[in-house]
Amino acid sequence: MLEVKLGDITFASPITVASGTYGYGNEVEGLAEVNRLGGIVTKSVTRQPREGNPLPRIAETPSGMLNSIGLANVGVELYCKEKLPFLNNLKTQVIVNIAGSSMKDYLETMEILEEANGNHIGYEINISCPNVKEGGMEFGVSCHMTEKLTKEMRKRTSKLLIMKLSPNVTSIEEIGMAAQDGGADAVSAINTVVGMGIDVKKKSVKLHTVFGGLSGPAIKPIALANVHKLYKVLSIPIMGLGGIASAEDVLEFILAGSHMVQIGTTNYINPNIGVDILQELEDYCTENGLKNILELKGQLKS
Amino acid sequence: MSLREISKVTGSREIAENTFESTLHAPQIAAMIKAGQFINILPSGDWPKVMRRPMSVSGTEGGNLSIIYKVVGDGTEYMRSWENGVEVDIIGPLGNYWEDFDKIPIIIGGGVGIAPIFFLHNTLKSKNLDHYMIMGSRTADEHFIEHDPDSKILMTTDDGSYGIKGNVVAAVDTIAEKQDLSDTKLFVCGPAPMMEAMKDYALDKNIECDIALETVMACGIGICQGCSMEYVPKEQKASSYREKYGLVCMDGPIFKANEIKTCYL
Ligand SMILES: Cc1cc2nc3c(=O)[nH]c(=O)nc-3n(C[C@H](O)[C@H](O)[C@H](O)COP(=O)(O)OP(=O)(O)OC[C@H]3O[C@@H](n4cnc5c(N)ncnc54)[C@H](O)[C@@H]3O)c2cc1C
Ligand SMILES: Cc1cc2nc3c(=O)[nH]c(=O)nc-3n(C[C@H](O)[C@H](O)[C@H](O)COP(=O)(O)O)c2cc1C
Ligand code: FES
Repeated sequence: MLEVKLGDITFASPITVASGTYGYGNEVEGLAEVNRLGGIVTKSVTRQPREGNPLPRIAETPSGMLNSIGLANVGVELYCKEKLPFLNNLKTQVIVNIAGSSMKDYLETMEILEEANGNHIGYEINISCPNVKEGGMEFGVSCHMTEKLTKEMRKRTSKLLIMKLSPNVTSIEEIGMAAQDGGADAVSAINTVVGMGIDVKKKSVKLHTVFGGLSGPAIKPIALANVHKLYKVLSIPIMGLGGIASAEDVLEFILAGSHMVQIGTTNYINPNIGVDILQELEDYCTENGLKNILELKGQLKS
Repeated sequence: MSLREISKVTGSREIAENTFESTLHAPQIAAMIKAGQFINILPSGDWPKVMRRPMSVSGTEGGNLSIIYKVVGDGTEYMRSWENGVEVDIIGPLGNYWEDFDKIPIIIGGGVGIAPIFFLHNTLKSKNLDHYMIMGSRTADEHFIEHDPDSKILMTTDDGSYGIKGNVVAAVDTIAEKQDLSDTKLFVCGPAPMMEAMKDYALDKNIECDIALETVMACGIGICQGCSMEYVPKEQKASSYREKYGLVCMDGPIFKANEIKTCYL
């Protein structure tokens, strides 16, 4: 009822967890039923390890949070040594998220991952991190660069290739089309929305980097709008994300045109949210006579 | 490994001005948790914010654990009104714990940092380990423990309304009159200015000192990379992960004074 396919890969459900909100799967041991998720997207992996931005890096906002982590991560070599063996033992589908600061970075990281003995079924390419100068935004705001990067990555892998898009652009449709033209199997949307927090008492900004990325339920309407815009122009599937916190939210994203979804910030409150909502989604299908949840995709009444 | 447990509130009371103690029945976590560790609390089932609220545990008894907290915002405001029997979703035990008691411990707490110090006090007592305990606050109203120098329990107040007048450094100085500090080790948790002062004191006098830091946490389990602290610079590779910045939730909350760049997070 919940089973979905993306390319020729089958996922037990359309529910996956978003990059940066689930680590590499091992951190939630004892707290979540990882193997019951449709899939997990890893924290962004870069060519070299990254220490991340100066602190403070996070701040709570009404119904959301700001972050400027700056892609702190172990780097692809340590990823292969330390994280991959655990991920290989999971029964859920693993998508590795890659970030980079140059074409060379992205491609080398992918080449190393292709050579490694990983069971991952695909890549999500982060071209939309607002938090570091070299966070790929140079790619994510340019149709030309998006298409070029997608093409080069397509040449290097037959696994799923998903380009992760930013809402911080004039036309997400054009960037989505560029990813499609470059040969992506899917796009995911959205990454965080540029935001800022101010502490009046201290007369200072809440994040060291001044600007950061807003996530959580606060951005759900923005995410839905972007998913729907993409749905209207793309022929490849969309993984929708941004503020999902309940089964009803998942249904909203599917109605807007998502093929699959990712849950991000809500994992911090409930690391098992992606599993907790499965029963409610199945019940919805049963009650509404759906053989598969994707019969709902894009079915908005005008 | 940490667990998620649906605990039950078994009691709440105001123990000092704006300071509350609540006990939660959480047998699994209570059986594992050690002094210095914390739990991450979902204040209510319909909590509208995106982060849990981290709280140090102040003690355990049977299957219960207790927390001591100051009401500073929505989460703690909600917690103070917990009724007995209410279910509270908690994750724990989280973080590292106080250890290495070879030297005579001087344990120092203040403000919201009294909980882990109180737990440590009882742990040391149960191990029959001789130690000093110092609690600092601004005024007498904030204290709930008796000033008892004969039992090596020292209270300080900034305004002198109770115990020793001055901050916790003044209390350590009174200990130094009778006790060679190089045979002692400091364990500190409290407001940032207090921790910073103790850090400087310990480094200046070359005394061992462990400090429990506090910062905003989104996940509490090493995923979000948001709860960073900065280490005193060591020799560093051009690119590194967790050498310049540590994670308070995983690498801490307890760090050695000589590795902390600043306690202001
Ligand atoms: C590891 C760890 C252990 C902790 N242990 C304890 C504990 O034992 N007892 C306890 O009372 N607190 C403790 N804290 C702090 C506690 O988590 C915060 O006070 C709590 O999250 C505040 O939640 P709130 O929703 O009530 O306030 P919020 O709405 O989050 O904050 C309200 C206001 O209070 C300020 N504020 C936030 N945290 C603090 C703070 N620690 N002190 C003073 N002002 C603050 C905010 O900047 C804001 O202006 C601990 C924190 C950490 C990281
Ligand atoms: C603390 C934090 C770290 C993140 N790290 C990454 C990352 O490394 N790579 C990435 O592509 N997205 C990252 N994201 C973005 C999320 O994957 C997601 O796109 C965004 O948070 C919106 O979804 P949400 O509202 O459900 O959280 C991060 C988000 C947060 C809050
Ligand atoms: S709170 Fe998320 S890494 Fe520490």
